[in-house]
Amino acid sequence: MGELFARMRRSPQGLLGMILVATMLVIAITGPWIAPYDPETFAPLLRYKPPTFEHWMGTDQYGRDILSRLLVGARSTVLMAMLASALGTLAGALIGTTSAYLGGRADEAIMRTIDAVMSIPSLLMALLIVTLLGKSSVNALFAIGIAFTPGMARVTRSVALAVRKQDYVSAAIARGESARYIVWREMLPNVVAPIIVEMTIRVAFAVMLFATLSFLGLGAQPPKPEWGLMVSESRKYMGQSPWMILWPSLSIATVAIGFNLLGDGLRDALNPRT
Amino acid sequence: MSILSVDDYSLDYAVPAGLRRALDGVSLHIDRGEVLGLVGESGSGKTSLAWAIMRYLPESAKESGRIALGSQPLTGATPGEIAAIRGKRIGMVFQDPGTSLNPTLTLGAQLSEVLVLHRGLAKKEAETEGEALLARVGLRNPAAMMRRYPHEASGGEKQRVVIATAFACQPELILFDEPTTALDVITARQILDLFAELQEETHVASLYISHDLAVVSAIANRVAVIHRGHIVETGPIGDVFARPRDSYTKMLLEAVPRPGHRIVATQPDAQSAPLLAADRIGVTYGRKSFVSSLLGRAQERFAGNREVSLTIRPGEILGIVGESGSGKSTLAKALTGLNPFTGEIRFGGRAIANLRAMDEAYRRDVQIIFQNPDSSLNPRQRVREILSRPLALYGETKGGKTRDVIAGLLEQVRLPAEFADRFPHQLSGGEKQRVAIARAFASNPKLVICDEITSSLDVSVQAAVIALLVELQRIHGTSYLFITHDLNLVRQIAHRIAVMYRGALVELIDVSRLPEGAVNGYTRELLAAVPAPLSARA
Amino acid sequence: MSPAYLLKRLALIGYTLFVVSLLVFGITQILPADAATMLLGENATPAALAAVREKLGLNDPAWLQYWHWLSGVLQGDFGTSTRTGQPVGPTMFTALGRSLQLALLAILLTLSLALPLGIGGAVNRGKAADLGVSITSYIGVSIPEFVSATLLILVLADWLQWLPATGYVPLSENFGRGIEHLVLPVVTVSIIMIAHISRMVRSELVDVLHTDYIRAARLKGLPPRTVLFRHALRNALLPTITIVALDVGYLLGGVIVVEEIFALPGLGRQLIVAIQTRDLPSIQAGALIMASTYAIANFIADLAYAWLDKRIQYG
Repeated sequence: MGELFARMRRSPQGLLGMILVATMLVIAITGPWIAPYDPETFAPLLRYKPPTFEHWMGTDQYGRDILSRLLVGARSTVLMAMLASALGTLAGALIGTTSAYLGGRADEAIMRTIDAVMSIPSLLMALLIVTLLGKSSVNALFAIGIAFTPGMARVTRSVALAVRKQDYVSAAIARGESARYIVWREMLPNVVAPIIVEMTIRVAFAVMLFATLSFLGLGAQPPKPEWGLMVSESRKYMGQSPWMILWPSLSIATVAIGFNLLGDGLRDALNPRT
Repeated sequence: MSILSVDDYSLDYAVPAGLRRALDGVSLHIDRGEVLGLVGESGSGKTSLAWAIMRYLPESAKESGRIALGSQPLTGATPGEIAAIRGKRIGMVFQDPGTSLNPTLTLGAQLSEVLVLHRGLAKKEAETEGEALLARVGLRNPAAMMRRYPHEASGGEKQRVVIATAFACQPELILFDEPTTALDVITARQILDLFAELQEETHVASLYISHDLAVVSAIANRVAVIHRGHIVETGPIGDVFARPRDSYTKMLLEAVPRPGHRIVATQPDAQSAPLLAADRIGVTYGRKSFVSSLLGRAQERFAGNREVSLTIRPGEILGIVGESGSGKSTLAKALTGLNPFTGEIRFGGRAIANLRAMDEAYRRDVQIIFQNPDSSLNPRQRVREILSRPLALYGETKGGKTRDVIAGLLEQVRLPAEFADRFPHQLSGGEKQRVAIARAFASNPKLVICDEITSSLDVSVQAAVIALLVELQRIHGTSYLFITHDLNLVRQIAHRIAVMYRGALVELIDVSRLPEGAVNGYTRELLAAVPAPLSARA
Repeated sequence: MSPAYLLKRLALIGYTLFVVSLLVFGITQILPADAATMLLGENATPAALAAVREKLGLNDPAWLQYWHWLSGVLQGDFGTSTRTGQPVGPTMFTALGRSLQLALLAILLTLSLALPLGIGGAVNRGKAADLGVSITSYIGVSIPEFVSATLLILVLADWLQWLPATGYVPLSENFGRGIEHLVLPVVTVSIIMIAHISRMVRSELVDVLHTDYIRAARLKGLPPRTVLFRHALRNALLPTITIVALDVGYLLGGVIVVEEIFALPGLGRQLIVAIQTRDLPSIQAGALIMASTYAIANFIADLAYAWLDKRIQYG
């Protein structure tokens, strides 16, 4: 583990990615405690304020402190996105590995079906599922997780197949190792690394997707301080205060960039041959 | 004046840790009509010299010394001067025609473009001339070949096109970077013959880079031996190979496989029952395609092995030779349960009809070592874990602690005990292969299948690994199924040799009866194609 | 391309469209515990619910419901909108036409910018310009459409007043003004694609420029321009077809958001409205049409790739 961090520090992407993501995680976890104000308190006299000493990022249309809302909303955006990615990855990995293991016709049939499912664009899939389940943050999480599953299944399968072809797996089979040992000790350690890289990059996409769903009114519902929702609500008030739109937009972009960088850094660091 | 002169040339690469010296004070020269063989192992710097001559060095390269083409200095030449020389006055033939040809352009296009560029021909003329050149390099139906894409031509055909391209502009000097390494023995022979012909005809000065001394001895006039960036010896080829002065040269010559020099002293017991008998083993590849059956087309099943039958006696080394695609690895995989097969295996008296019948006893006694040490060891497992698996599976701890047994295994393959804590990427190719050998011997097997295990190793490393195998055989009396494409090597160590061609076993012969006793046409062709062993020492 | 290959691809797209229709129908009509409640809301009376169930044929077994819907669709009948009472098909297809306009303009813009950017980046690898473009595209890929749309509107429409913020004018009516209204949406939806595709092109070209055959081409004495344009690009750009085809999926998602923000009457907008008003037939039709468009785009890309790349094994 220590070695991993050392390697990550070597590349600019890895370093920057780690810093950004770590910061975001800290904010996401401690948000509610470090927020200077209550994100839901109205303060009608302090509406549309630009950044000031009392309100570092200004206030919104109800006088709520934007910084506090961002800090508390980080949980929704960041943690939800990570959970959704993890969900999709787990489900996808299961399907993908099974398909690779079965091989032959079964594998082909499963993959063709996965391809067909992937014909439904991620956003559309998420929209349909939210329609089915109802509008809320949690349902948006499931929707995104399900939307990610086929993509991750594909990636897992191709990685698993590549690993399966390696001589060390053949050597294990020739030795008469059990299927359990082969999958767990020979294949999985070599499969996990690329999957984690892929998943990290997906988190960036999940953040964007989650914010988009909230923006469209189908994810988090008001008065939750979810970042996408904040952007959506601020559109009407762009004239009064551009800061309302600026800060959440910047935050979303920063998180997405952070995870992209982290994913790239991980990819280099986890390569055992370099 | 020499066509190529290299004077006290040194090359360093700037790496994070400082400067890495690739070439150190190299001096050599090649005259018109001469072939200079440059012989060295991997990491010797031989390829760096080729890039230095072609001025194809990265920005991190620092040079000193002088390289000149005739009277024109190459070091310090301007990009314009270099552009005028490349392809026109210096040509190059690369190692792997599969990767050195553009897959999306026709062979003809890649040949014509140099004619248009360097000889100023118009497109149509270039095509006609191109066809003539292809005919000159021995390609049948040159017109059709011009229109083909690389993937539609065989390795030999592609290499002929590459050679034609290099000779097309009548250069003064041609660099050959291991041009036959990626080809099978018979095709390699034809390419070597072609090269000799063209070289005599055009009197082009040639630098022939190779790790294969046998090949170099067949075509070079003079030879330079390079080791770790130094030229350690140079001279006429007969002299250097017959009376080497440098210790490295001597070691290298000693390591080259020579059929006359037998390494194995043991003999299998002629009376004992066979250890393993393979009876009409067949392996087929390919799946029935649904669409094909719908369209009523004949199914394409590819035969990996056709009814191969052979026996191995206890303590015997059976060599299997053949080209790629001949089915040797397929057979090895069938015998270890990695390929489903038809036919029967009888081992120690028991009949094994399919994968399921291969139980623990069989697998303990029959082990396999693969060719590529990079992929046969799990990169995420330490050596300790890699070696502990057979011990865990077959319970060979003999009462001692696993750690001690592993140390013993490493010692047996002449590796230090500390290596147990290393990961594969921290070991060299030869060291990795020794670990693979240790793994195979951990269960005290009766038969070890070696699938081209030294093909990716340097000559000197190969010699050491072979010596180790021979030693282990002497101690344990293990039988080997030794698969290789190197006929000279196998004649040094095998008791009997099986020749495979296109999935079938075409000849099975006692090594003592080679080469005159070979009956099969393909075997004779193979024997004729193998570069003659160096005349040096007995 | 052999007939067997074509046959196989056609069979595949047939299967794909079938699965898509199953999914769309399943998620919207079969899975909800009670589609009637989903439609009318929690407070509907039992009588109203029963009437709707009857009307929508929800009492039939699942496969029968699916069959009714599918057979209708195959004949061109997508049902009637519960919101407007109009036939869904014509509305959706007209909307599709407008969305396709947007999409195609976006693809054109993307290719004309992403290709030079990617190629330039690969050729000038490591230099300041490349780094600048790299960083910009990193950022570009990380900004959701609604953010960039909002920011663009803020700057170009509200502040500078160069372009209209929302609204739609059909190109056939007034080309100039129609284009004006399309500029911001097209740019918005293209940003992510330009960033993504330029990065892919760059990475692909960098790989190609390191191959043995490019080295061989250079050592033959070919000038750098020839090496790049005649030898390298054809190998690097071929995979681009596949990447662009895959990105059409992002594009369609982006179209949904962008049409919502800029109030363009395209398929995405219709979908959002349908979802918000629980107009089941419209949701089903819209989703089916959108997914089918994506599937067909990929199909065409597959064929184009196979035709261009001589090495694809037939079948």
